[in-house]
Amino acid sequence: MKSLRRDTSTNPQAANVTSKVFVRSTRSGKVQKIVRELYLREDIPCSSKLCSQCPKIAPADANGNIAPFILSDRPAGTKAFPRGHYLLPDTNALLNGMDLFEHTGAFYDVIILQTVLEELRNRSLPLYNRLLALIKSDEKRYYLFFNEFRRETHVRRGPEETINDRNDRAVRTVASWYGYHLQQSAKKAKKEKTMPAIVVITDDKENLRKAKEENITALSLSDYVTGLDGSELLLDMISDSKDARDAKEASRGDLFYPEYFSMSKLTTGLRAGTLHQGIYNVSPYNYLEGSVKTAAFDKPLLILGRDNSNRAISGDSVVVEILPQDQWKSPSTKIMDEEAVTRNDNPDSEENEAVVTDKERKALQEEVKKAHGKNAEGKPQPTAKVVGVIKRSWRQYVGHVDSGSTGSQAASGRRQQNVFLLPMDKRIPKIRVRTRQAGDLLGQRILVTIDAWDRDSRYPTGHFIRSLGELETKGAETEALLLEYDVQYKPFPKSVLDCLPSEGHDWKVPASKEDKGWNGRRDLRDLLICSIDPPGCQDIDDALHARQLPNGNFEVGVHIADVSHFVKPNNPMDLEASVRGTTVYLVDKRIDMLPHLLGTDLCSLKPYVERYAFSVLWEMTPDAEIVSSNFTKSVIRSREAFSYEQAQLRIDDKSQKDELTESMRNLLKFSKVLRQKRMDAGALNLASPEVRIETEGDEVGDPLTDVKTKAMLETNSLVEEFMLLANITVGSKIYEAFSQTALLRRHATPPPQNFEDLTNQLSKKRNMELDVSSSRALADSLDRCVDPENPFFNTLVRILATRCMTSAEYFCAGAHAESEFRHYGLASPIYTHFTSPIRRYADLLVHRQLASAIGYEGEDGHAVIEGVSTRSKLEDICRNINVRHRNAQFAGRASIEYYVGQALKARGEKVAAAGKDSGIEEDGYVMRVFENGVVIFVPRFGIEGVVRLEDFVLPGESGSRSVAERRELAPHRTTDFDSEEYTLRVGEKGHPEKERGVTVELFQRVRVNVSSVKEEGRGAGKRRVRIMVIEA
Amino acid sequence: MASQRQATSASQVPHLSPAELSYLYTSLSLPKTPIRPDGRSPTQFRPLSAETNILPGTNGSARIGFADGTQAIVGVKAEVEKTIIAADTLDSRSLGQQGDQLNREGEEGSAAVSGQGEWVQMSIEIPGFRDDDALPVFLSEMMRESLVGSVEDGKDVEMAGGLKGRLVINKRWHWRLYIDVLLLSQPLAYPLPLLSLTTHLALLSTKLPKLKSTGEEDPFFDDDWAAAEYLYPRITNKPAKHTTTAQSHPVRPPVTLLVISVGENIIFDPNREEIAVADAVLAISVTRTGDSDTLKLLSIRTIDPPSRLTQPGIPNSENVNMLGATAPSDDPALLNPATGEEEVSRVWRPRRGGVKRSVIARMVKTVLEKGGVGEEVLEGLEGVEVI
Repeated sequence: MKSLRRDTSTNPQAANVTSKVFVRSTRSGKVQKIVRELYLREDIPCSSKLCSQCPKIAPADANGNIAPFILSDRPAGTKAFPRGHYLLPDTNALLNGMDLFEHTGAFYDVIILQTVLEELRNRSLPLYNRLLALIKSDEKRYYLFFNEFRRETHVRRGPEETINDRNDRAVRTVASWYGYHLQQSAKKAKKEKTMPAIVVITDDKENLRKAKEENITALSLSDYVTGLDGSELLLDMISDSKDARDAKEASRGDLFYPEYFSMSKLTTGLRAGTLHQGIYNVSPYNYLEGSVKTAAFDKPLLILGRDNSNRAISGDSVVVEILPQDQWKSPSTKIMDEEAVTRNDNPDSEENEAVVTDKERKALQEEVKKAHGKNAEGKPQPTAKVVGVIKRSWRQYVGHVDSGSTGSQAASGRRQQNVFLLPMDKRIPKIRVRTRQAGDLLGQRILVTIDAWDRDSRYPTGHFIRSLGELETKGAETEALLLEYDVQYKPFPKSVLDCLPSEGHDWKVPASKEDKGWNGRRDLRDLLICSIDPPGCQDIDDALHARQLPNGNFEVGVHIADVSHFVKPNNPMDLEASVRGTTVYLVDKRIDMLPHLLGTDLCSLKPYVERYAFSVLWEMTPDAEIVSSNFTKSVIRSREAFSYEQAQLRIDDKSQKDELTESMRNLLKFSKVLRQKRMDAGALNLASPEVRIETEGDEVGDPLTDVKTKAMLETNSLVEEFMLLANITVGSKIYEAFSQTALLRRHATPPPQNFEDLTNQLSKKRNMELDVSSSRALADSLDRCVDPENPFFNTLVRILATRCMTSAEYFCAGAHAESEFRHYGLASPIYTHFTSPIRRYADLLVHRQLASAIGYEGEDGHAVIEGVSTRSKLEDICRNINVRHRNAQFAGRASIEYYVGQALKARGEKVAAAGKDSGIEEDGYVMRVFENGVVIFVPRFGIEGVVRLEDFVLPGESGSRSVAERRELAPHRTTDFDSEEYTLRVGEKGHPEKERGVTVELFQRVRVNVSSVKEEGRGAGKRRVRIMVIEA
Repeated sequence: MASQRQATSASQVPHLSPAELSYLYTSLSLPKTPIRPDGRSPTQFRPLSAETNILPGTNGSARIGFADGTQAIVGVKAEVEKTIIAADTLDSRSLGQQGDQLNREGEEGSAAVSGQGEWVQMSIEIPGFRDDDALPVFLSEMMRESLVGSVEDGKDVEMAGGLKGRLVINKRWHWRLYIDVLLLSQPLAYPLPLLSLTTHLALLSTKLPKLKSTGEEDPFFDDDWAAAEYLYPRITNKPAKHTTTAQSHPVRPPVTLLVISVGENIIFDPNREEIAVADAVLAISVTRTGDSDTLKLLSIRTIDPPSRLTQPGIPNSENVNMLGATAPSDDPALLNPATGEEEVSRVWRPRRGGVKRSVIARMVKTVLEKGGVGEEVLEGLEGVEVI
């Protein structure tokens, strides 16, 4: 009987076939044995430019091209390897030192093994993606070698061998093969002497030992880096390796945090409904208070204290267990700042380190006291503790070194020491970083990453990546902001720029209508079209026109830049745009989604030139009833580009009687009707605390004059109404055509409990009612929230109401039932984004879908619908652009905040020169009341800030004192906090209440003093905007 | 044909004449020293060749080929399945307590956990038969029965030979086993021994992924196949000297042996012709349990002997054509051991079934006794390198 088993040892035919066996557990609980066959080949090139053999055998693609060889023929040398070297890192080296590999100063010519890449993917997805990016970019010369598929380098797992040992052996096998292979080809070329060394980088001791036995050059990551130039900087970038931590753990048995549950215990609990999964969020006012929103409960669960948050960091996806009822508490009414509470922690000494320091414990006790309060808000709420982390969302954090944490001889020695990094984001705990350059890093914005948070360490440990520059310099702060909000700000790579039209700025709409560019386009050049945008706008997305038809009705058109003509699906430019998702507007900078050439020229609907557009045309009765709507690709010529003000002036100017002005007047008339209709349907008029900054101001003037609150002109609303109408019309059109894949935008109806607090506060303080049963009811009740004494009150309530709502999101039509498509804020049953394709990727996709829905066949006659028709891909895109959209908003706001701070500082300096330092007095409004402070919103600058006890200027007290002096005041203050009435009375110890005391309450208008101050007494402190209450 | 297939155990009764049948019967029933058509001794098995793990995609597999060309392949697949808790065990604890259960893992002990027979599914495919024909159904049930119920005393479920106890992961989860048996050739003889031996080997080579979770958690397994554990655990430290009873497997899956009796003789591993004349056909399942050195009898099944349906021979005395042509026979009249009927020597009479108690006792003894046939078979199978 002939054996049916595949025998690799005897059968030479079978040598190139092997298999890989593993167990796969599927999500549905199935456990399968998977056998994958591997067919080994001999034509996978080594990709070294030194090699003379591989170019002959390397496989060619369909066009007969061989992938270019990557590894340099003159790799960089070091002291130890004067003839140059190729690096061959194993998985641990990459895990510990990915930042090193990304460093531009060293680590060139690296061979990444398929084995290593796959292992890395299992260990850490973010690192895997970063490595992929490195492999894709050509500048660092990373070559992905498919060692598992090459016959000589494939390694079969031995009978008793662990997977780790096998993979280590695979690395060594490749190293010796590369050495031999290059030697062979060098022999042929007769230049054996010049062959580069193959250096295995591994942190595994066993692997190092075996490599030595097998005569392979292998170094640990730190040994290798030590031999490089500038090793001190580089050594800091190695993450706190696991070995070192293990050693530490062995020496000290103290474990501060409870262990996480095992994965199987977590899944069992989640399925049984005893554990809950959600995203861990930290309160911006109190770093010890977090919350987790879970699917099972309407309200988020509270997580109080470090014990319970158990090493979770804001943003992590965690599993929580609900605590017994006697441990339920009310949310804190105190402002707690990690910096302030834990200022004296020493990063080096961990002996007397407890998870919860006494100070923290005391602070928590007070909360418990409050928990037994009487009112609804103070009622104990379910609390929970974190028992497992499903997915860390650790990223790179921007911050600065806490100067108090550096040792005394910090500046002098190059000794390695621990320092604390205070992240810019208050919700992230301090990060302990080991560094040799503590002295240099003081006063710098630096970028670090978290490596781990072990049970025996109170704070997470991380490592230094790079310095962005001095604190408060414009460059460093802008970059910090962009990094913090994950905005892709690097210049567009060449592959993207290659996708631009070759004519560059000289590109024109083809003159001849026979040209293929005119296929399927309507000639709308004779229409009187104009655009209305903010002043100085370069990327003009939209233009409008209106004209009377012979039948008495009107034709109204919205013309949108035809970006999809220039950005073809799935080319590098499209992919880059889909990653960026949106253009980000900072005060003094714009981070474009599309290259400059398209955004500000070829796509932009500039006046007086012909441009491709995508037009939505309606026929409307004079009462703004829509008779019909029509979509077409077109060619237009805008007659004029107005700013809002210019347009307003022109409309208001009775003497202007030309057709263009008439057309604008018609548009304005229609927009008012449309707006009224929308309001009747229950659209919300929401407010956001935004200010606009016009940087045109001359240097000598008061910088604060640049800060302007957004003015609403009628023309603003004119454009807005038609854009909304176009978006709605397009939304229903693409949904009609693509019932599963249409890209739409929805704003979910907020659950009524979101409004609970605000409703309570309003009824208590103002005896006003907020009806949240529908958007219409809410709109009406918001209109009724008026305080005749306080004109800003209504806006304040609207701002607060907006915060209670969920944010709008992009989605794929198939992902929700049609009834869920509603846009709550706009009171529209369907909505999408169509009108800003230059700055939003969603609009670009919608353009493609609409083009396909109207049967536009493209200039070469075949419709390009690929990329818009697969739902899973669209859902990925939606997820990304939702995040990008939000981040862009945050970044924009943070930028304004920074600018306001800088403007205040500049002003302060100017005034100080004149001998007076007083800040600026403004009106402020109390937004929230805590036990030890209030949050005040200053509409003039659109900022809100915490006012601590010491910053209440009591009657009869001199107004201005330095920060340090004021801090001394804090212990002398007495407070009386009434959580039911939302009032806080601040007095001074030893003084009769009446004389010296000030009471503030929610929604109250107060006079505040706004200034920019530098934190003193803590070395290189940061600057912050200080708000002082001077008159209640 | 169809009716015959339904009625008999379908060993495809060879077309033998009554004279041939009679000859066979006579030689097989010679007292003490039966003469088998292929010259084997009564307890001798046909030579076979075997190998395991031939199907990479299965959890365990084996192939056995007999020298007569019959071959079978068995593949074993395992799947994780949720245990449906019976109503009576459920009411003692409310559903809300499930969380507590997680913490009280193992408190109630594994005594409450016992397997269920339907966790093992067996399907047999024989060329030329539908899967609902009597033969495959009967065969699979016969093999499954001994497999599943081999030991039910429950005092040490883990080590007992019962397969179903082994399939329990925890109170809420278990493995379901699919045993697929494929006969590659035409069933020349009654295929039971072949299929049983192949199944035995396949089960010996079956591995289950290593469990990483503990207690009552949802099962979670090691994704390294090399870490998978054998369904029938084996002792790894092999003794230096190869002892006679190589106990590398303390517990073995059951083996079903086919035994026939012809007259007073007991014959193992009968071929097709031998079955055709058997007085009784028995399927005896044995296994070895961990706690004792001896074999354990699991079941005995009688199988309808095909000889019942053969055509009887007509003695010359009754043959009209031969009337007066022959002298009256001087042979003594034989008694059919089963029926007690008087028979004419050298004239074939279909066996009517029935077997003496003492014969069955002897059969069982031959199988079970120390150094008996059962041990010999198991040892022989031990010799097959199971990887």
